[in-house]
Amino acid sequence: MAKLSNDIAEKGLSVLKDKNNGKLIAHLNSCVHCGLCADSCIYYRSMPEAKFIPAKKVDLVSSIYRRYCTFSGRVFPGLVGARDLDEETIDEMVDLLFGACTMCGRCTVHCSIGVDISYLVRTGRTMLSNMGLVPKTLQSTIDSAITTGNNMAISDEEFVETLEWLGEDLQMEVDDDTAHIPLNQVGKDMLYTLNPREPKFFPLSISAMAKVFYAAGERWTLSTKMYDVTNYAYYSGNIGEAGVIAQRLYDEMEKLGAKKCILAECGHGSRAFRWEGPNYIRKPYPFEVLTSIELMADYIRTDKIKLDPGKNPDRVTLHDPCNLVRSGGILQEQRYILKKACLDFVEMNPHGNDNFCCGGGGGQLAMSEYNERRINIAKLKADQIIATGAKVVVTPCHNCVDQLTQINVTFKLGIQIKTVAEVVADAIVLNENENTSK
Amino acid sequence: MNWYQWFSLTALVICLGSLILHAVRLIRLGNPKDFSQPIGKTGSAMPYAFVGAMSPAKKESAFLHMPTYVAGIIYHLGTFLSIFLFFLILAQINFTEWVNWAIAGFLLISGLCGIGILIKRIVKKQMRELSNPDDYISNALVSAFHLITAFAILSPVPHPSYFVFTGLLLLYIPIGKLKHTIYFFAARYQLGCFFGWRGVWPPKHP
Ligand code: SF4
Ligand code: SF4
Repeated sequence: MAKLSNDIAEKGLSVLKDKNNGKLIAHLNSCVHCGLCADSCIYYRSMPEAKFIPAKKVDLVSSIYRRYCTFSGRVFPGLVGARDLDEETIDEMVDLLFGACTMCGRCTVHCSIGVDISYLVRTGRTMLSNMGLVPKTLQSTIDSAITTGNNMAISDEEFVETLEWLGEDLQMEVDDDTAHIPLNQVGKDMLYTLNPREPKFFPLSISAMAKVFYAAGERWTLSTKMYDVTNYAYYSGNIGEAGVIAQRLYDEMEKLGAKKCILAECGHGSRAFRWEGPNYIRKPYPFEVLTSIELMADYIRTDKIKLDPGKNPDRVTLHDPCNLVRSGGILQEQRYILKKACLDFVEMNPHGNDNFCCGGGGGQLAMSEYNERRINIAKLKADQIIATGAKVVVTPCHNCVDQLTQINVTFKLGIQIKTVAEVVADAIVLNENENTSK
Repeated sequence: MNWYQWFSLTALVICLGSLILHAVRLIRLGNPKDFSQPIGKTGSAMPYAFVGAMSPAKKESAFLHMPTYVAGIIYHLGTFLSIFLFFLILAQINFTEWVNWAIAGFLLISGLCGIGILIKRIVKKQMRELSNPDDYISNALVSAFHLITAFAILSPVPHPSYFVFTGLLLLYIPIGKLKHTIYFFAARYQLGCFFGWRGVWPPKHP
């Protein structure tokens, strides 16, 4: 990289110099370099080089902290492995913190001390972001979201057109002329969000959820102004940009007066809005936030929708998105749904909180410069899937769908990849006389 | 008291003072305010963070590396015991001979465990690449502390070098990674808050 000026370095260091963040200080000082986190990381497991050990990624951040923020690092840098923030360090930070970590958090759970490794990786990304060093590919996705309202820069006309034909599709599917996909309606119970990949590439997952809402008789709406559940600034670590995106959805909720915000099947989007969003904008939400997974599980539990598992006879397995499960607490709902919606559901090994990342998280799918690594680490997931003998892999995350689709092609798995809503929609038993979309 | 006992006592005060400062700062800062709506309870996550999640059944870093894990546990027990014995030795409290031999035997084993971990750090390329001088020094000092303590409790009067060595170790603790004595608890507390708030810990059955 070009010469690093003091001003720019100071912008990065300001992140570490926050003396009021007890969480950051605790984690920055905790790693003992035992190396036992190595085997928990998909990168190290797939490419066993020291640089891929999670602790190495921690050290990139904590060694700079030691150098500039601790007595021993200032006085005896060589002794405690304190490192200058210079061009070489920065190149390594970009390569490893952006290009060799999906922030899946698996190492965090298994760290012998309890260092929140993914949090420190994100902190390192925030430093890089403050210095203007986010990989261009990732930054352009964020720029699209900021300038157009969605990360795929879908125009309003294109979006509305897509929803119109999906609405017509829904009418045919449920054989009801009144069924439709409500847009921009004020005072509904729920505002539903989407991953922009849905209108762009996977419109059937929108139809699927619309069918679920129809069957449940839900009062819901979509917004054409702000429907994007994703927040790639969570990945870049840019708190300001992440806040802008979270605030938009917050504002849309207020404008439409919906009681609940329903987050589409998107792991990082759910995390970024539900868990990080209120902290980005520094205020609690006055409305409820739920994932569509919790909502569908509730529909089934309360008999709002009826399912026939016989409609999904093939063996199904589940891929747990890291941000939804390990960092989001949604673990049982998707299993409850799949057991009700499918005849033959099997778990991967390991699964749940211990599941391996698919390799597409952490913004990897947006950063094409790291494609080779992303595919290398995906072999673990391919092997997991093969071991289940499943014909269908279900995952409640569109990013994971993307990565799994590439895994399917690369490793010739011959499987189908579906979202949870698609499986539920396939299993729904409609009682045409009772259900109407309002 | 002799000069070397004063030296070790002064080092103890400096070490404790420094660690207490770290602890007070962490307690004062606490956990950053979280504006999101919790779906779990941090209160019930905390025991899990400190006990359940540390068990080899749950922790991959333990069950995939059982020899290192067991050596690490024995090593840490030996360290706690050596520190406890330092107070007893300073206060000139004695045990019966067979208790002294039993303790020395355990400290010999725990010291060897520490040396084993040090050898692993030196021999394995990946570990070398992860390590800085402090990692070697901390490990060597603490392992030696076990062995020197074992000799000290077997001697009728501990040799002055015991007090000098212990004093140097105590002065070193706040400088390097040995201060994880405090930060370990802070990190686990923060994890308990994080995973408890989000309903991840204590873990539900899938
Ligand atoms: S397991 Fe934890 S303490 Fe050990 S090296 Fe990895 S991050 Fe550091
Ligand atoms: S967060 Fe995931 S990808 Fe990143 S270092 Fe940890 S295990 Fe590896």
